[in-house]
Amino acid sequence: MFGNILFLVSALFSVLGAVGVVATKNIMHACVYLLMSLIGVAGLYLTLGADFVAATQLVVYVGGVVILMVFAVMLTGGADSQKSNRFGIKKTPMMGSIGTYIAGGISAILASYIVIFRLLPKVFEAQPVNSTMAFDKTVEKIGMLLVSDHVLAFEISSVLLLGALVGAAVIARPKRN
Amino acid sequence: MALEKLDVYWPILILMAFGVLAVVGALVVSKIISPQKPTELKRQAYECGEDPVGDAWALFNMRFYVIGLIFIIFDVESALMFPVVSVFKKMNEIGRGGLVLVEIVIFLFVLIAGVAYCWRKGDLDWVRSFQTPDKEKES
Amino acid sequence: MNETIVTYFAKFEWYKSLVKALTEMLGFNAEPLMVFLFFFLAAFIVVNVMAVTAGLATYAERKISADLQLRMGPNRVGPYGLIQFLADGVKFIMKEGIIPKSADKFLFTLAPILCLAGVLGSLTVVPYSSGFILSDLDIGLFFLIGISSLVGLGIFLGGYASNSKWAMLGGMRAAAQIISYEIPVVISGLSCVLLAGGLSFTTLIEAQTGFPQGWFVFHNPFTFIGFFVFFIGGLAETNRAPFDLPEAESELVSGYHTEYSGMRFAFFALAEYIEVFVVSGVAVALFLGGYNVPFGLGGDGILGQFLQLGAFFSKTLALYYVVIWFRWTLPRLRVDHLMTLCWKYLTPIAIFNLIGTGFWLYGFEGKSLFELLFKSGAAAAGGGH
Repeated sequence: MFGNILFLVSALFSVLGAVGVVATKNIMHACVYLLMSLIGVAGLYLTLGADFVAATQLVVYVGGVVILMVFAVMLTGGADSQKSNRFGIKKTPMMGSIGTYIAGGISAILASYIVIFRLLPKVFEAQPVNSTMAFDKTVEKIGMLLVSDHVLAFEISSVLLLGALVGAAVIARPKRN
Repeated sequence: MALEKLDVYWPILILMAFGVLAVVGALVVSKIISPQKPTELKRQAYECGEDPVGDAWALFNMRFYVIGLIFIIFDVESALMFPVVSVFKKMNEIGRGGLVLVEIVIFLFVLIAGVAYCWRKGDLDWVRSFQTPDKEKES
Repeated sequence: MNETIVTYFAKFEWYKSLVKALTEMLGFNAEPLMVFLFFFLAAFIVVNVMAVTAGLATYAERKISADLQLRMGPNRVGPYGLIQFLADGVKFIMKEGIIPKSADKFLFTLAPILCLAGVLGSLTVVPYSSGFILSDLDIGLFFLIGISSLVGLGIFLGGYASNSKWAMLGGMRAAAQIISYEIPVVISGLSCVLLAGGLSFTTLIEAQTGFPQGWFVFHNPFTFIGFFVFFIGGLAETNRAPFDLPEAESELVSGYHTEYSGMRFAFFALAEYIEVFVVSGVAVALFLGGYNVPFGLGGDGILGQFLQLGAFFSKTLALYYVVIWFRWTLPRLRVDHLMTLCWKYLTPIAIFNLIGTGFWLYGFEGKSLFELLFKSGAAAAGGGH
């Protein structure tokens, strides 16, 4: 029972949040809707039994990325509803040229083809969520894999993080006179 | 068997719903029983008694963003460390603790190198030893 | 694995007979319904206990500050002013909720909701006793870190939505401070995870004993330092003095909640006081032996559970007292000192502690300092739980 409720709530959260992100004109509201969507996605991970991934979603995205985004918004001086055409939304109501429309249309057709004819049949074939999941401690499984089979990926990811750290520091550094 | 596999997540949903409902409910009750006489002066933002000048959504300093970036990197690092660290004891018991320890230490040392670099270059300082533009000094 | 309060009750006969009776009465399997009802009831009790604890904490805060400053403190409402917090609550509801006209109304109301939802969500995994834990998730500690990060965002949005300069400055400071101090807190917590070999709070606590020498804080020199790093970081995460820069009265009026009044402000305060309890509780669970009772007094029965509750609450409230004591003793830090303390002292120390704990566990096969020093004491420490 709870699996279904959790799925419905999280799916509603993620879809409504995603709609809110694109529908709102206020960029700070968009950040909050994104937060809602990300929490919904964390709930979806929970329904799949991936509890560690769900918590990672919360820690990294809700706690980190959204905060970083609001900081980035504050770099531009925040969302001012009077100046919402700063992103070109009011100035060009059509929001694009013929080229973007053609590209968008083709990709929409492709995506809907893939979703309708390739993915949806598989969804209906799929097993119900509750019956397939073996609920052993996922954290320990991930840990075992990280220190045995995927140890190289684990170590290289630290180099990636080092690169990101140094890159962020260098880009944000004020220039000397 | 009393619980289905996902039932352990009930309290999260219930408690967060409580959090939302408590605020909404209290606001509704408060709306009914509290006085509602907004005046222009009451609704001004507080600026020590003066009329507020402009709004507060101003440009903020870059270093908040840098702190956020460094934080995310450490966050991802801790997300990677948690599973590895939680199996360390069991691996130690079956005699492979040394290997795991070496892996953890290498992982952390690469990050420590990054922190040391940022420290040396002054990126961890809240007040920079050299200020960027002359414009800031003038204003 | 994944113990919850319902699995604890499901061991009893009356629970099973209740389920059976309900199933016959309703005509369908009442098990999921019972699970929901028990979780709902337990969560309701926990939330109410926490609200009262937070209310009493505001009273305690005033009384303790009065003691430290040779004043009387509140003493008019009820005996010794004990129900002052109820009077405050009534007054909060009766107050007009003012929203500044330049504010972002949607975010202005959403901010306290985010704060409260984040704090209450983190109550899921706080271990009150071995049976009374709402849900002992396998990812316990990590989940708690994730869900409580909503609080920082709530505080930032509160400051942002007010559209007042004081509030905005307070909100920015709060967000920067909360995310910075999360790093040393998480890494200090990792060294406990390393020693216990699991993320769930039950695993973390059962690895310790009811005696102080079995607690992780006295396990080895690294965790001893780690406890203080964790506690200082936790203090900063809750925006308590000496880290109350986001609401520094003398410079920022009232910080991120300058524009808040009435119930919205009350929920910010409630969230803060509950969060202090959660941080103290987690510090107790990670380092101070959690709910363990010496000699396993009371056994597994209901008496044992209540003894464990007593052990947990007394340790947590003792730490709560320390938090309040700090507030009225130490002066506030400066912003640059705050960031220096986090990034140049606590974070390197925490990483060093983690590596040191790893080497200790590898070198001494998980034995604590006490066991190494007094070989004969090892038996007593082992029999503690």
